[in-house]
Amino acid sequence: MYQVEASKVLLKPRLWAGRAARLQVPRNVVMLGLVSLLTDVSSEMVATILPLYLVFSLGASPLAFGAIDGTYRGAAALVQVASGFASDRWRRPKTVAGLGYGISAVGKVALVAAGNTLGGIGAIVAFDRVGKGIRTAPRDALISLSSAKDRLATSFGVHRAMDSAGAMLGPLLAFGILLVAPARFDAVFVVSTLFAVLGVAVLVFNVQGRPDRAPREGTPPAFRAALRLLVEPRFAPLLIAAAGLSVASVSDAMIYIGLQRSIDFDPALFPLLYVMTAIAFMGLAIPVGQLADRIGKVPVLLAGQALLFVAYGVLMMSSVGYLALAFSLLALGGYFAATEGVLTALAGAQLPERLQASGIGLLITVTSLGRLLSSLIFGALWFALGLQTAVVCFAAALALAIALAAPLLYRAQRAALDG
Amino acid sequence: MDSRGGKITVVLVVLCVLLGGGYVAFAALGPDQTTTDAKPTAGGAPAGVAVMVRAVDPSSPTLNGRVFVVEDGKVERQSTDLACERVYYAAGRGICMGVAPSGVDYNAKIFDSRFQTLHTIDLTGLPSRARVSADGRYGAMTVFVSGDSYVGNSTAFSTRTTILDMASGREIAQLERFDVTKDGKPFDAVDFNFWGVTFAKDPNRFYATLATGKHHYLVEGNVADESMRVLRDGVECPSLSPDDKQIAFKSRIGDEDRWHVHVLDLDTLADHPVAESRSVDDQPEWLDNQTLAYSDGTDVYTVPADGSGEERLLVKDASSPVRMPNSRQETSPSDR
Repeated sequence: MYQVEASKVLLKPRLWAGRAARLQVPRNVVMLGLVSLLTDVSSEMVATILPLYLVFSLGASPLAFGAIDGTYRGAAALVQVASGFASDRWRRPKTVAGLGYGISAVGKVALVAAGNTLGGIGAIVAFDRVGKGIRTAPRDALISLSSAKDRLATSFGVHRAMDSAGAMLGPLLAFGILLVAPARFDAVFVVSTLFAVLGVAVLVFNVQGRPDRAPREGTPPAFRAALRLLVEPRFAPLLIAAAGLSVASVSDAMIYIGLQRSIDFDPALFPLLYVMTAIAFMGLAIPVGQLADRIGKVPVLLAGQALLFVAYGVLMMSSVGYLALAFSLLALGGYFAATEGVLTALAGAQLPERLQASGIGLLITVTSLGRLLSSLIFGALWFALGLQTAVVCFAAALALAIALAAPLLYRAQRAALDG
Repeated sequence: MDSRGGKITVVLVVLCVLLGGGYVAFAALGPDQTTTDAKPTAGGAPAGVAVMVRAVDPSSPTLNGRVFVVEDGKVERQSTDLACERVYYAAGRGICMGVAPSGVDYNAKIFDSRFQTLHTIDLTGLPSRARVSADGRYGAMTVFVSGDSYVGNSTAFSTRTTILDMASGREIAQLERFDVTKDGKPFDAVDFNFWGVTFAKDPNRFYATLATGKHHYLVEGNVADESMRVLRDGVECPSLSPDDKQIAFKSRIGDEDRWHVHVLDLDTLADHPVAESRSVDDQPEWLDNQTLAYSDGTDVYTVPADGSGEERLLVKDASSPVRMPNSRQETSPSDR
């Protein structure tokens, strides 16, 4: 439970009050970051121990858990478009985001109350995924609308750094609780629920629902207007570029598995790969965001995508030393820092204020479907032709995607300037 | 709204810290459950059958995973400090796979007939299957190695299966390193996963599952040669009968994670279902050459192996059934 206080102590003076003068991060963005941090602590606590809990307490197979989880990830992608549009239509991004955070929190409460059946767990995982699907687009729209257009990438950098800090703290906290109270999964669920409730509370009481750039006049957008984003000259090229880049990017999970195969280190250290990447992501998100605001989001985004070549190169090596491993994880962290938030910031800058959430919802759906497709293709290639051939194919595809994305992204930016 | 909202949040934070901290402290220091619970309880066990099980009671950390022997309707607790997620035992040597004292890692303990730990082995993932050869010479363990998600979204699990020398507690082979042949030709793919070893009377010979793509092959292997050959498809968690003639296994229903127990004849490789009615995710155990025992995760059942009759509750609130010799006849290397 100390993390809440610790993070407040850390965040308040350093990010918000102290460095805010230089960073110029709106208070609303920091508060939304705090909401995400608390919510991520909550959901990662449970996600970390859920396989353990399922197998040991309920006697299920981990494969069954994989099936449960995979099913809802797909469903969540589609919810995003709907929730994004609803938030624009009603002009209530905070309410719609709150609904999403609330649904996830209710799922946690249910876990405490009725978490001892497999069906119950399935339903709760579904709640969590749907809640995540609902909240992401309106939350990102709020971040975007709370920031000045030339500070968007920094704002998203701050948010993503806080978000991944939560994802790091969650598992630590869960293991800490199980260490002092062995096998008391209920204690983990209770603490997780409290974090979820706190996240919702910070959203309700400390986040401004109608920030500066939020549209106040004019008629609310019709669904047709949201659909027209698909052909809108300042947004459609961005969507196409994002789709191409996400399909050509090997997912980090696949990269870790590939690294493990070529290095043959102790599988017990496997989670360490995630942790090191997350630390690099967390540390780089803010400076990279600032850089994107200074020199332009498009070059930073493309350079970040190119960092994947480092990881691909290491996968191609026949024997990998620990230095090369660390280097590729750092590159992977940099890739996340320079693409995830920066892409959303770019969308925020290109989209009209009244269609922020709809557009971001579309973007997230396109990229997550692209990633799914990428994993399927990469898995099939790996299986059929071997790891190295699969990596070569993806490296070629990535080079092509970057070459095509560059003119598309600049065209979208020009269209925005002209329009 | 700022200052009022801030105050409410601060109050909520304090409240949550107190509530959460209090709950965890209570859980950590809470009263120990008694160790004389009624669980597990014997069902309608056939006379003359002795079976070792682990207790299933997630609400009681002091009972869950403890080892019991059920004999002639009597339930006797065998261990207080061994807490196992999977247990197996033969000829005076047992394997207990469970959560390590850290609460975060897993380990396996090799124990003797007095349930004293002889060796402790760190595990690299969630315990899945454990077996000991009938003569107590070799042990086999399967764990799930997971790529858990921090940034990514991997829910892919792979398995790792090792063969142990039960006397020294040392790992002597990894199934992933064995040479595999199918139809007489070398067979290899990146997504090979092995699980569910079962030993023959000659402990060098074993059967296991090899999964690749959508196939789950039954393989016959040799520990000394580090080799395996594929026998047929559609067999998971094989379990060899004491006379080495039949294999009980879990047979997947369609593409789902649901299984029925089947028995195949090793001469013909043809199989038939047994009269069990639920989905079973377990490596079945032979009580004798005619009778199977298995767990659905919470209770242990028996069923005739020839497909006749019906399933019967053997032990309630238990899993990981292990055939035991009649206690009056038991001798083992460590007792001599």
